[in-house]
Amino acid sequence: MIDRIPSGFHPFVLPFLAGMIFVLSYCVYGIIKILVQLPGEDRRRFYLSLVTPKTVLKNIRDIFCDCLFHVKLWKRNRLLGYMHSSIAFGWFMLIVLGHVEVILFLPHRIRLFYYPIFFNYFVAETDSTIQGSLLFFLMDFFLLVVLSGIVLAMVKRVRSRLFGMRRTARPSLTNQIGLYCLWAIFPLRLLAESFTAHISGGSFLTVPANWVFRQFLGNDLNMLPTWWAYSIVLGVFMVVLPFSRYMHIPAEMMLIPMRNAGLKIRNARKGFARVQVYSCPNCGVCIDACPMSVNKANIKDCTVYLTRQLRRGNERRITEISDKCLLCGKCQAVCQVGVDGPGIRILNRAERNYALKPDYSSIDGTAIGRASAGGRVAYYGGCMTQLVPSIGRSVTSLLEKAGIDYRWIDRDGGICCGRPMWTAGRLKEAEEIVRKNEELIRATGAVTLVVSCPICYRMFRESYHLPDIEVVHYVPYIQALIAEGKLQVEHDDICYAYHDPCELGRGCQLYEEPRQLLSQVVRLSEAEKNRAESVCCGGSLGSLSLSFAQRENMTRAALENLYHSKADAIATACPLCQATFSRYADRPVRDIAEIVDLHAKANKQNKQAI
Amino acid sequence: MKENVVIIGGGIAGMEAARQLLLLGYTPIIVEKKDHLGGHVARWHKLFPDMAPAGDLVRRLSEAISEANIFLETRITSINRLSNGYVVMLSNGVSIPCRAVLGASGFRLFDASKKEEYGYGVYNHVITNSDLEAWFNGAEDPRIVADPKAVGFVHCVGSRDLKAGNSQCSKVCCMTAVKQAIELKERFPDARIYCFYMDLRLFGKKYEDFYINAQQEYGIQFIRGRVSEVGETAEERLQVKAEDTLSGKPLKVQLDLLVLMSGMVCNPEVAEFARTIRLDVDSDGFLKSLDNVGGINRSNQPGFFYAGACTGTKTVPETLAEARAAALDIHRYLLGK
Repeated sequence: MIDRIPSGFHPFVLPFLAGMIFVLSYCVYGIIKILVQLPGEDRRRFYLSLVTPKTVLKNIRDIFCDCLFHVKLWKRNRLLGYMHSSIAFGWFMLIVLGHVEVILFLPHRIRLFYYPIFFNYFVAETDSTIQGSLLFFLMDFFLLVVLSGIVLAMVKRVRSRLFGMRRTARPSLTNQIGLYCLWAIFPLRLLAESFTAHISGGSFLTVPANWVFRQFLGNDLNMLPTWWAYSIVLGVFMVVLPFSRYMHIPAEMMLIPMRNAGLKIRNARKGFARVQVYSCPNCGVCIDACPMSVNKANIKDCTVYLTRQLRRGNERRITEISDKCLLCGKCQAVCQVGVDGPGIRILNRAERNYALKPDYSSIDGTAIGRASAGGRVAYYGGCMTQLVPSIGRSVTSLLEKAGIDYRWIDRDGGICCGRPMWTAGRLKEAEEIVRKNEELIRATGAVTLVVSCPICYRMFRESYHLPDIEVVHYVPYIQALIAEGKLQVEHDDICYAYHDPCELGRGCQLYEEPRQLLSQVVRLSEAEKNRAESVCCGGSLGSLSLSFAQRENMTRAALENLYHSKADAIATACPLCQATFSRYADRPVRDIAEIVDLHAKANKQNKQAI
Repeated sequence: MKENVVIIGGGIAGMEAARQLLLLGYTPIIVEKKDHLGGHVARWHKLFPDMAPAGDLVRRLSEAISEANIFLETRITSINRLSNGYVVMLSNGVSIPCRAVLGASGFRLFDASKKEEYGYGVYNHVITNSDLEAWFNGAEDPRIVADPKAVGFVHCVGSRDLKAGNSQCSKVCCMTAVKQAIELKERFPDARIYCFYMDLRLFGKKYEDFYINAQQEYGIQFIRGRVSEVGETAEERLQVKAEDTLSGKPLKVQLDLLVLMSGMVCNPEVAEFARTIRLDVDSDGFLKSLDNVGGINRSNQPGFFYAGACTGTKTVPETLAEARAAALDIHRYLLGK
């Protein structure tokens, strides 16, 4: 291998160079800006995580799995996974191997960072070695891998269903330019390398192509235009990158370490939120996932459009999209990047100014708490349980059967858990409610707090500070009572389909416990989409602006998903899901507590104890 | 030979229409899915505003149609359209060719257990307006205690309620609640009686008199505001939380009985059936009249007529009047005029 061009430079590299310098400086500027926007505490935490070996290893692993291999996409659909990882990993390998070539053959050129990209133009092959052939083989191989990905990407644009996607996001103008550049880059590279293959050498792809081209294009004059075209397309791609969805490539590499450092979104538009927004690859997986997409009018209210409008700064649409969402969290669960759609929305809601501010100063949490003091176990039903009284009744009946010394602390008035205020974006008010409720709960003197509403449970987990009190959802609590032998249950042959409530499943990661508990008393059958992909019932308090008709469509769609199981009845563990479903369901909808209570009896020893 | 007219539904609409059709010289054939005639009214105790026994009305109508063909506990399996009429197939295997069909399939009472916050089917002392009428009629009901100290009526349960899937007013429940409150007060003079309402729609003859009387003579308390939730105390009394929107204050009251004024809703089975013979269904789920002023009795299909609550909520006198009108309309149609 020798330098074909003594100066090591040709003007055709300029477009690429310009694009590269532009995108690098944009990214450096962006990184500095985002780091400055982070609150001091978060910034320190982030820096610390970058020197903690454990997180560093996790970062590297996550970046490889998520950005290069697209493991999550493989799990969703193999074709989709192959398409993305072939382009990402193939391209990555082309860059790495390009550098290896330069280091191996022309180490003095490594300072020129365009050299690995245009290596084949600048070199002439003098003798063939095993090393060289292997490298050239690998280069051609990965080029082929990328090209196969590009072909699939083209197919996907016309037949997205093959890739498991019913709907995809409509590309914006910059996304389209970026897309066509990306499609053009690799065929042009193949052409360019093929035209030079008789000089620079090549492998199974470029050498035969070179031979074919030389049969009818007999001179070397075609070489330079294709290298120019390749460089220009690369340059254009780099220039549009910051303004297109392809910004997700650098942004995700920032998102992963930030998330692993435990950062949370604290400002709707700055810092971590900005990274999240730029990390959205606009793939549109969230469109099919979004329960609102059963309404044609709501398709553009999905997270992919939220991130797009946030980048455009379209305030009217940002408000609309933020308010509409049910905050079911499914978009985040299916997103390969994990963009926190609900979190971004809540903080955007929080930007609003309300003229009227509620005043909670007159509420004396401690006094209310003292009034219901006495039990070691406190049961907190929450507002929604009051509205679906069968649940409270079943939970307390189970506690009584098990001989638990408990008090229903909000039976006759209590304080809201604060989650509705929180999801409405009224964070300060929610905080105030939470503090009052903490006082109340501490004053009861209980050591265990049993909660039956997943909406409350999530709030307790995420926003409450009750260090000496164990907060537990009734499902694992009752499981423990059965395991300890305090409750005896009988099995029945009725078949139930279990609906994962958003707040219990995606919100608190309780997927298996409710299933285990239910299968101790009845037969279980799974809905078409379940666990993390469960479909929101449509009744969520999260949405501020969905109409009843729109919600009804969503509830019916969610029910269809459950009917798919052919079960006799529907089980859930959330009062809001139950109230919503029972309006339209053609079969009974019951809470797990109710079902277990029907099948449970007290252990005789408990009775003696009482 | 006398000409057949099939009447779907043996409630008061179907019965009154059958009576008129008999007088006009036709053979009405009533198809009723239950084992008795009279529909919802047969379960009712007294009818406002004259407080006449509902049983008398049903009895009079039954006697008047003794010559009609009546199929009880029979359902319609299908209706086929012919060029100038219909063939109605019944579940007992009978098929009836006829030129005119009268739809008098009525309404369904809203299932109060769907408004879970009121605890119907959960708490021991929550009943519906229909349950209360049955009890007035002498049926046993363990939910009604021997000596209630306080009773509440909740208006608009499942009517004018988008969340419950019915945005329409059920029309009769305001007046029914006033009537039932008075009747309960007559039986339990010491009980305090509360009516929780959104607004009172007392449009008919003498309705307003009842309302004034209920307050002045019987001391029934009308509270404007919806009930937010119902709970149960340790003594199994009901604890009702509501807002008095006139005074702007939340209130809590303990009751021994809560009566839910379940509204009239469409029968979804009927709507499904209607689609099979291309009858139009309205946005509220009830059958759609040709027009709502001059053509309430008529459907969009020739030879298919309506009477009573199958096209929307109706009072008893309205239903009877419509049934008579429908009979005349059918007569006119069969004469080809």
